[in-house]
Amino acid sequence: LKLPRGIQVLERGWLSSNNVVLFAKGATVIDSGYGAHAQQTVALVEHALQGWPFERLVNTHCHSDHMGGNAALQRRFRCRTSIPAGEAPLIDRWDERELILSAADQRAERFSYDDTFGDGDVLAMGEYEWRVIAAPGHDTHAVMFYSQQAHVLISGDALWENGFGAVFAQLFGRDTALAETRLTLERIAALDCDIVIPGHGRPFGDVGAALERAFSRLKGYEEDITRLARHVVKVLFTFAMLEKRSMPLAEVPAYLERVAILAEINRGYLKMAPAAFSDWLIADLERVGALERRGSAVVARG
Amino acid sequence: MSPDTGLCEGCLRTLDEIAAWSAMSAEQKRAVLAQLPKRGARP
Repeated sequence: LKLPRGIQVLERGWLSSNNVVLFAKGATVIDSGYGAHAQQTVALVEHALQGWPFERLVNTHCHSDHMGGNAALQRRFRCRTSIPAGEAPLIDRWDERELILSAADQRAERFSYDDTFGDGDVLAMGEYEWRVIAAPGHDTHAVMFYSQQAHVLISGDALWENGFGAVFAQLFGRDTALAETRLTLERIAALDCDIVIPGHGRPFGDVGAALERAFSRLKGYEEDITRLARHVVKVLFTFAMLEKRSMPLAEVPAYLERVAILAEINRGYLKMAPAAFSDWLIADLERVGALERRGSAVVARG
Repeated sequence: MSPDTGLCEGCLRTLDEIAAWSAMSAEQKRAVLAQLPKRGARP
């Protein structure tokens, strides 16, 4: 898969989102990775820019794995920073629960932004103009960037090659979040798009097949909300383990009680006793190869 | 990144390799991956 001229993707893992570098006289970088990786993000961006001026940092949405390097990039490059308008009040308040930080045992360094953009705005980034498309679902205020000229969609976590970012909000009082996810996928289906650059994983060209997989997953969650509840728990615990690398097995039940979002999902949807909750989670993540038991500990494999 | 080896402490790739990763062919990626076990064995 060959990306159009002037677009470079710094493909990261699952703890950090990808960083998309759009080159022009002044370069734009989309998303900044997770806080624990901030120094690597700065080094990678420096390496990619080779001395080109870094003009603007832009976020698809403000989850810890997409905005965690914002503060570090700002310190190093003094770049103008732009975020989706819907995220602005949350960033102003910096409520760690709303931002899914402390409540999910995640961290991000606080940052400030210079301006915002919203659905329908057109941003000149790199060599192309990009239309901002609202992408509620995984994050209510998330956006995507679409270039009709380049036939490229920068989708954030609204569409990956295999799925999309977990729809947390549906479990926490926003019972329209899955319906919004469906509308977002339909908006993507209506675009004339050869390449999707996702927030995680490699850029891909077969957009139709990715949409088909995404719709099928979504249908599963719509039919049985506990599927979504289990998925969110697995995503959040795997994410935590990617940062911690290892945790004593005996501590897992207490950890699942202590992290507010995990405890609430269990109370509200899964209703398992702490030990059973822990056993199910570890067995399931072991089965898919995300974790393994090693002696008396559970360790991340990713 | 490890200051001693210049490798990412998680994936054992160099900054060059991470930056170029999404532009590499499958063979190039496999060639990098094949070197990783050796790198992990360093003291």
